[in-house]
Amino acid sequence: MRVGIPKVLNIWSTHQFWVGFLTALGISPENIVFSSDTSEDQYREYGKGRGTVDCCYPVKCMSGHYGELIFGQKKKIDILLSPMIYSLPSFLRGHVLDTLTCTRVMAGPENIKAGFLKERDVFAENGIRYVSPFVSLGEPEKVPKQLHLALKDVLDLSEEETVRAVEAGYRALETFNQRMRQKSREILTWCARHDRPCILVLARPYHMDPGIGHEIEAELQAHGFPILWMQYFPIDEDLMHWLFGEEIRAGRIKSPFDISDVWPSSYSSNTNEILWGAKVAARCPWITCVIRFSSYECGMDQPTYTPTQKIVEASGTLYFKFGDLDATKPAGSIKIRVETIVHYVEKYSRDIIRRKLAALPPRCPLLEDAASTSESAPLAA
Amino acid sequence: METIQRINHYTAYRPRPFTREERATVTILFGGLTWKHERLIQGVMHNLGYRAQPLPNITRADLDAGKELIDVGACCPTIFTTGNLVNFLKSEVAALGRDEVVKRYVFLTAGACGPCRFGQYHESYTMALDGLGLRDFRLFLLAQNQLDQGATHGGGLEINLPLSLGLIWAILCADVLTDLEYMTRPYEVVPGETDRVMRESIEYLYDVFRRRPQEKLQGGKLKVFAWHVLTDYFTDALREVRKRWDTIRVDRLQVKPKVKITGEFWLQTHEGDGNYNIKRWLEQEGAEVIPPPIAVWLDYLLHSPITSEEWKGAERNRKKIALIRALEHIYHFVYNRFRRALGNLPYELPDQEELKQLAKPYYHYELRGGEGHMLVGKALYAYRHKKAHMICELSPYSCMPNTMSIGAMANVLGRYPDLLYAPIEIKGDAEVHALSRCQMILTEAKRRAQAEFEDALAKTGLTVEAIRRYEERYPEVQRSTYRIPHYGYAGTAANYVMHLARKMR
Repeated sequence: MRVGIPKVLNIWSTHQFWVGFLTALGISPENIVFSSDTSEDQYREYGKGRGTVDCCYPVKCMSGHYGELIFGQKKKIDILLSPMIYSLPSFLRGHVLDTLTCTRVMAGPENIKAGFLKERDVFAENGIRYVSPFVSLGEPEKVPKQLHLALKDVLDLSEEETVRAVEAGYRALETFNQRMRQKSREILTWCARHDRPCILVLARPYHMDPGIGHEIEAELQAHGFPILWMQYFPIDEDLMHWLFGEEIRAGRIKSPFDISDVWPSSYSSNTNEILWGAKVAARCPWITCVIRFSSYECGMDQPTYTPTQKIVEASGTLYFKFGDLDATKPAGSIKIRVETIVHYVEKYSRDIIRRKLAALPPRCPLLEDAASTSESAPLAA
Repeated sequence: METIQRINHYTAYRPRPFTREERATVTILFGGLTWKHERLIQGVMHNLGYRAQPLPNITRADLDAGKELIDVGACCPTIFTTGNLVNFLKSEVAALGRDEVVKRYVFLTAGACGPCRFGQYHESYTMALDGLGLRDFRLFLLAQNQLDQGATHGGGLEINLPLSLGLIWAILCADVLTDLEYMTRPYEVVPGETDRVMRESIEYLYDVFRRRPQEKLQGGKLKVFAWHVLTDYFTDALREVRKRWDTIRVDRLQVKPKVKITGEFWLQTHEGDGNYNIKRWLEQEGAEVIPPPIAVWLDYLLHSPITSEEWKGAERNRKKIALIRALEHIYHFVYNRFRRALGNLPYELPDQEELKQLAKPYYHYELRGGEGHMLVGKALYAYRHKKAHMICELSPYSCMPNTMSIGAMANVLGRYPDLLYAPIEIKGDAEVHALSRCQMILTEAKRRAQAEFEDALAKTGLTVEAIRRYEERYPEVQRSTYRIPHYGYAGTAANYVMHLARKMR
C-alpha cells in the first residue's frame, strides 16, 4: 500500500503528524510518498489544464502536486491523501480565540480535486483512491473520529487502531517541533554569546517550499546571517519570561502567547503566529531584522501588513517585506533587495541589539546557556 | 537611521468607552446592508432609545477613498465599506470639526466570523481612522452569532434580546418585502410603481418597528422571545403593506429569465455601485432577479453548530441539538408567518439539510468561511427544483472562500453541463468586463425562458390573445400580489400560462 501526500499548504507544518500516523498503521516510511517541492516545471508537466479557478499560487500549484503523484511516480501510489485541515495544533492554542486555517487552505482539496473530476474521474482511471479527510488537528479529541470516518474503508481501520495512530502522529509532530525549537535556541544562544544578529522569517509554513518562498532566506544566510523561522522559535519558559515577563506583570498581556494587545481577532492560526512572531522579533535583541513573505493575493496576510510592520519597527528592528510572491522567482530583484538588507543589517545591528537589551531584564537565559555550552557554528532552523 | 531611545511597543486600536449617559447625544452609525434593511434596523434602534443612522449608500467614490487608506490587496467589500465610513467622516469633519465628530458618532459593525478575513474588517477600519487622524473615533464590533452579548465597553450599547430580536425581525421583514419587490418590478405595467410602493412600505414598517410596544420588551428573556414569535404585531403590519402592493398591476406574459443571485454575503446583498448595481442591470437586460435573503445566512448560522454538537455525541449535546432544531423550527415558523402575511409570495427558505446534502459530493459542509457549502448547495437547489434559469454568483476579487467554491463548481458543471452558472468577479472598477461576462450566459437563459414559455403554450393550447382576454375579464390575476404556483417551470411567464390554463378549464 503506497500513500501519496501532496506537499502543500499546511502539510508543511503537519507532515510529521501524517508520517507518524501512517507509520503507526503499519505503512512503511518508504511507502509514504510526498510530492516534490513546488516548481514551474511540476505545474507545467502535471497540473496544466487542471486548474479550475485563478487564486493564490500556494493553492493553485496543488494541481501540479496532485498530477505528479498520479502520473509522475515510477511506483504507482494506491491512495492520494489530501487532508482538509480545518484547524492547527498551534502553540498559541488556548491563548487566542482559535487556531483555524485559512479558508482557501482548508478548502483547497475540494477545489483542486474538481480539476481531476470535471471531465472524467482521473483518480479512478489510474487506480488511485482519492481520500480527503476533514480534520481539525487543533482539536485532538475530534481527530480519531474524523480520520476513522474518512479512512476506515480505505485502510480497513478499527476505531482503536485509529486512536493509537493519531496519538503516534501527535507524538511525532511534537518531537519534531521540539527538536526544531531546540535548534533555534542553539542559534540564538550562539548569537547572544557572540553578540551577532540573526534574521527572523515571518511567513506561512508553505513559504518553506523553495518553489513558493523562492529561498530568499537562503540568499541572506549565504551572507553569514543565521536564519530563524518564526514557527520554530524556542518557546521555553525562561526565554518567554525574559522577553514578556514585565508586560505580564504590568497587565498588558496574560501570558507570553497572548496577542490580544496587537491582534484582537485572533482566529487564524498562521496569522496569529505571524503576529506573535512579530512581537518576539520586536523584543528579542539578536533578531535585528525581519523578513516577511507573502504570496500574491493572500487574503489572510493582507490585513496584517501594517500591524506586523508597526510591531516590528516599534523597537527599531529592521523590517523588509517580500510581497506578492508568485510562481516565477524574481531572481534579479531578490538579489538587489538582499544586498540592501545585508547593508542595513551590517550597519545597524549592533545598535539595535544594544537598545533592545537595555529594555529587557539583565539576566538573559540565552547567555546562561552560552556559559554552559561549547562554541559551535550556527545552523539555519 | 534615527536612534530610538525608548521602546513603546505597538498596541492595537482600543475604543474608549461609549457610556450609557451618551446615548442621548451620540449617534450609532452602521451600514453594509440594503437601504430597506437599514431603515428598519434604524426603527429598532430608535425604538430602544438609541440615536442611529445608516451610512449613505455605497458609491464608486468610496472605493477610491478606501484604496487610499488601507493595505493593498483587500477584497472589494472591505475597500468599499471602509471608504464609505471614511467619506462620511470626512464630510462630517468638514461640517462639524474633528472633535465634534469624535464626540458625536460611534460606528457599529459586524465581526467575529472565524476563518475568513471578514472577521478582520475592523483592522481596515482602524487603519483608515489612523489615516484620517481619527484614532479616538469609536468603533464597536457586533458578533453575528450571539443574541445576548451584554453591554459594549462603557454600557452605551446593550446587545440584548430586545435589540437582537428586533434586528432579526427587521431583517426578515425587509427580506420578504425585497422578494416581493424583485418579483414585481420586472413585470410592472406603470414604470416606477414598485419603487414607490416599496418606499412607502418601508417607511410604514420603520414606524412599526419604532413603535414596538415597550411593555413587551420588558421582563424575562423567555417572555420577550415568546412575544416576538407569537404576536400579530408584525404580521398585521405586513398584511397592511400587502394592501399597498395590491394596487400594482403587472404583465406576467413578458418572458423573462429568472436569475438567482448567490455569492459573498456583502456583494450579493448590496444594491448599488459596490456590485455594479447588477440586480438592476439584470432587470434592465430583461431578467427577473431572485435576490438573496439575509434570512438564509442567519439560518445557516443557526444550523451550523448542529454538526459540531453531533461530533461530541453525549447526552448533553443531544439536548443542545434538540434545542437548536427547535429554534430552527421557530425561526422558519416566524419567516413563514411573514410570508403568509404577504400572500405566500416571498420564496420559502431552502432546507439547510438539503443544501448540505446537495453540496456534499463537491464541498464539505464543515468548511467554514464565507457561505461555505451553501454556494454549491444553492446552485444545485435552484437547478434541481427549477427555481431559476441561471445562477449569478457574485464574488469579490481575491475572496478566499468564494474562489474555492467556484473551483468546486467545475466538478458540478461536469456532472450538470446544462446548469447555467455565471461566477462574476467584482473588483469595483471593472464593470464592463463583469457585466459582459454575465450577459453571455444571460443570452442562453433568455433562450431557455422563451422555450419554456412556448412549451407551456403548446402544452395548454393557449394563445397569448386568449390569455389577454381572460385578464380583461379577471383583472385580479394581474395584481402583483396574485400568487402564481410553481408548475415545474423556472420562468414566471410559463408558470402563469399553466396556472391560467387550469383556471380557464
